[in-house]
Amino acid sequence: MIWLLLAVFAPLLGALGLPLLARLVPKAPARVLGVGSLGFAIATLTGVVGTVLERPKVSLEWIPALGVRFDLAVDGISAPLLLLTGLMGVVATAVPAHIDADNAPGAAVESSRLALYYACLLGTIFGAVICFLAGDALVFFIGFECVLLPMWLLIAQFGDPAPQALARAASLRFLMVTALGSTLMLIGLLAVAASTGTTNLQVWAQLAGSTFSRPQGLVVAGLLVLGLSFKVPVWPLHTWLPWVHSSAPSAGSILLAAVLLKLGTYGLVRLVIPVVPAGFATIAPVLGGFAVVGIIWAGLACLVERDLKRLIAWSSIAHLGFVVLGLASGTEAGMQAALFGNVAHGVISGLLFVVVGALKHEWGGADLGTPHASLREAAPHWGFALIFGFAASMGLPGLAGFWGEFGAIYAAWTPAPGRPGGFFVLLAVGAAVGAALAAAYSARVLREVWGGERTKPAIADAGRIELLVVAALVVIVVGLGVYPSLLLDSTAPVVSTLLTGAP
Amino acid sequence: MVSLPWMTLLPVLILAAGTVAVLALDIAWPAARQAHLTLISLTLVAAAAATIPGIRMSPGDSLTALCAPSGGLCLYEVSAAESLLQLLACVSALLVVLLAWRDWAHGEGGRTAVLSALLLAATTGVVALSGVGDVASLLVAIELATLPTVALVALEHRTRRQPGAIDAAVALLTTSLASFALLALGAALWFVSTGTAILSPEALIGQTGSDRVVLALAGVFALAGIAFKLSAVPFHAWTPVTYAAAPLPITAYLSTTSKVAAVGGLLVIVQAVTGAGISAVGVVLGVVAALSLTLGHVIALVQGDSVGLLAWSSVAQGGWVVLPLATLAPGATSLAVGYLVIYLLATMALWIVIVAFANDPARPDGTSMHWMRGILRRQPALGLAMLFALLTLAGLPPAVAGLLAKIGVISPVAAQGFWWLALVAAINVPLGLAVYLRWAWLILDPLPAPDSEAQVAKVFLPPLWSMVLGLLTAALIALSIWPVMFR
Repeated sequence: MIWLLLAVFAPLLGALGLPLLARLVPKAPARVLGVGSLGFAIATLTGVVGTVLERPKVSLEWIPALGVRFDLAVDGISAPLLLLTGLMGVVATAVPAHIDADNAPGAAVESSRLALYYACLLGTIFGAVICFLAGDALVFFIGFECVLLPMWLLIAQFGDPAPQALARAASLRFLMVTALGSTLMLIGLLAVAASTGTTNLQVWAQLAGSTFSRPQGLVVAGLLVLGLSFKVPVWPLHTWLPWVHSSAPSAGSILLAAVLLKLGTYGLVRLVIPVVPAGFATIAPVLGGFAVVGIIWAGLACLVERDLKRLIAWSSIAHLGFVVLGLASGTEAGMQAALFGNVAHGVISGLLFVVVGALKHEWGGADLGTPHASLREAAPHWGFALIFGFAASMGLPGLAGFWGEFGAIYAAWTPAPGRPGGFFVLLAVGAAVGAALAAAYSARVLREVWGGERTKPAIADAGRIELLVVAALVVIVVGLGVYPSLLLDSTAPVVSTLLTGAP
Repeated sequence: MVSLPWMTLLPVLILAAGTVAVLALDIAWPAARQAHLTLISLTLVAAAAATIPGIRMSPGDSLTALCAPSGGLCLYEVSAAESLLQLLACVSALLVVLLAWRDWAHGEGGRTAVLSALLLAATTGVVALSGVGDVASLLVAIELATLPTVALVALEHRTRRQPGAIDAAVALLTTSLASFALLALGAALWFVSTGTAILSPEALIGQTGSDRVVLALAGVFALAGIAFKLSAVPFHAWTPVTYAAAPLPITAYLSTTSKVAAVGGLLVIVQAVTGAGISAVGVVLGVVAALSLTLGHVIALVQGDSVGLLAWSSVAQGGWVVLPLATLAPGATSLAVGYLVIYLLATMALWIVIVAFANDPARPDGTSMHWMRGILRRQPALGLAMLFALLTLAGLPPAVAGLLAKIGVISPVAAQGFWWLALVAAINVPLGLAVYLRWAWLILDPLPAPDSEAQVAKVFLPPLWSMVLGLLTAALIALSIWPVMFR
């Protein structure tokens, strides 16, 4: 219980307390705020680890008029994502902030501004933790909405200073698109709540859509999938993501890719597949089709994209395509692969954004055309991290990325009974082509960034903290790659109950 | 013999007596402006206190008065939700007195007594409207709630806004008269089809065929007649004109207390027709909600003046309040009232800040939004209160109360499968975010390079105003943690 309180209140207190501290002590050095926020993030991670080990349950009366109880609980599916959130919180607060003073690049940053930056990071983590802990649909929804404001501020206030209007436009687009998606999802959730008479997710999974007629179930599943597809994002609703990533500060990109996008896929697993199984089965081929189009589309975009951060964003869209494809297949293997791919993508994209964020800062821009020394010559540590990240990202066996992608293709090859087999085989082939594209664009990036003999303009190599962060992520990627059962054993029992509907 | 329980009617009676008392005081002691204002404040506090027993009732119960000895049909009946409306009316009117105090006590012209009496009379109408049980009382109450506000709008004396004040009053008056005609027609049709003036579901028992068509028409006309008070599209045209020229405290009154009147009237009619299942009324409400939301948000997006933005925002917010009523579902009324509570708290907080800016002599055209740029840096407490109010209206956490209010009003729409209306609502949530966050951005954004003293000068809030602003913000935070606005 104490762990749960720590996991929930540490980020919340940090988000509220740091700006207050900066207000009370206006001359607080940047270091104090940085270390403070890192402390809150580590406390959150500790709380999350304790919660995952202890598995406490909380159920408080909250809004009787809407039948909502404040239910928090952990199971095998949410545990890995909670750990991911806690870990990425530490990574995001540990990487250098690199923010400019208001309208005056180069000047010392006011402590209030720095405090706001860290408060936004911790606020995002708070929302994600609530989301993954939620045992009630509306509590999930509120966590889902909690991440919006801090993320909007991160992009709008601390994004690319060069064309600030661009960062503002990107942030507003992020906010409006996500809000549209989440409201569509809300409508679906409320329809399920009205039909089942409760918002408890466990009861929803047990009822497994038995309270719906066929067309009703289809409409509700359609609304939920459509709403969540904005967040995942599924092609063709992905257009906001590359923009946002190219403007966001690197810590914002890390949280967005590693945590926020996971809310969408987690929502599909938790709110759609067990709740309206029949409706989802009807939509699944379409969803799978969009996912595969997204994989290929994003792979092709990666071959020509000039902005390094945007490129990683495109590759995220491709990876989440695999996750969605795994879910659409409707088999246990598919869902296992999806959940694995979800976590793997979180760690790998976190790693890549740490590297790319640092490169962007050193180069003074993320464009591949920016003159820069090759990493091999100038910054071997960053070079290793980049190679490793792309190797994991293209799904090399032995690294974390492999199991999710391989599993998704395998699951699409042998979809659940009732799914159109021939079509899914086609999807599997398409996804395999997409995986090949990943190798191609990885090679392209490594040639342009890592390879070559250029030594000027030189850039600094990774600092001590950055090395530590990179090392930790590398260990996790290798660990999950060689010993996938670590994760699969945690999710397996829950996956089979979610798919069969039995408690 | 008609029963007359004084306690039940107390909120209305106190306000009516207060109105008379203010005029009497004026005859006895004309110069005592502060005394007049104190008297109306105390009257409002007393009336607010008198609504408490009604609010504490359990949801199914109601307080009745002026009942016929047989049959149990009553001319006055309040449920817990309606008592809450009465409380909201008194509290918001009290806030208007606070905002107007300086003007009315020290401004030129000796009209304090008239203004005070008008304000109380209008509030009497609003409070009575929540309890009316028959069509005749409905007509009287809505006029009592409206006509005094026309005079209050016209009696602007500040030079900056005065030229438009008469036009504003005329716009309000014309709309209200047209609406009154519609309402009267609706009332007549109700009487024709049911044979009774009592507005209650029991009156509809045994309705068939052509009666039901007439009844549907009655409901639609009556709703059209009340919608103007809510500034619902297409009866909103007076709103931007009037908001732009009326005295600011009176504008605040129109956007808060008057909304309570509108919701009170809507509830009476919706409750009367809900039992009969007349879907035409629901469709009309749905269309009104959809239009109000969309038009209100879109036009609010391009406003540069805080009052203009609040005018159009109030159109859109009216749409959110009407949204659940369109389903004619039994629980929808309490959800609409719950939304109204949150809207009122946030809007009152914003009005305090806007009037404070407008009162500041350093800033000509004080309601323009650009004066508020960077206010969070200069006056953090004030900036945070504004931000929280704006986030509440947008429905974005950390203002969870605003989000829950939105969930509440959308829930019956989704539950009853009104998919087209749900879709309109879904599109309007991001539009609303854009509207309120545009303002929030100004508050957060640092001032590039101040080009005048006025831009960086701190705005002065009297201590009492700061305290009320703090209380309103604290209430919104408390409701975010313990959402008790839904009953």
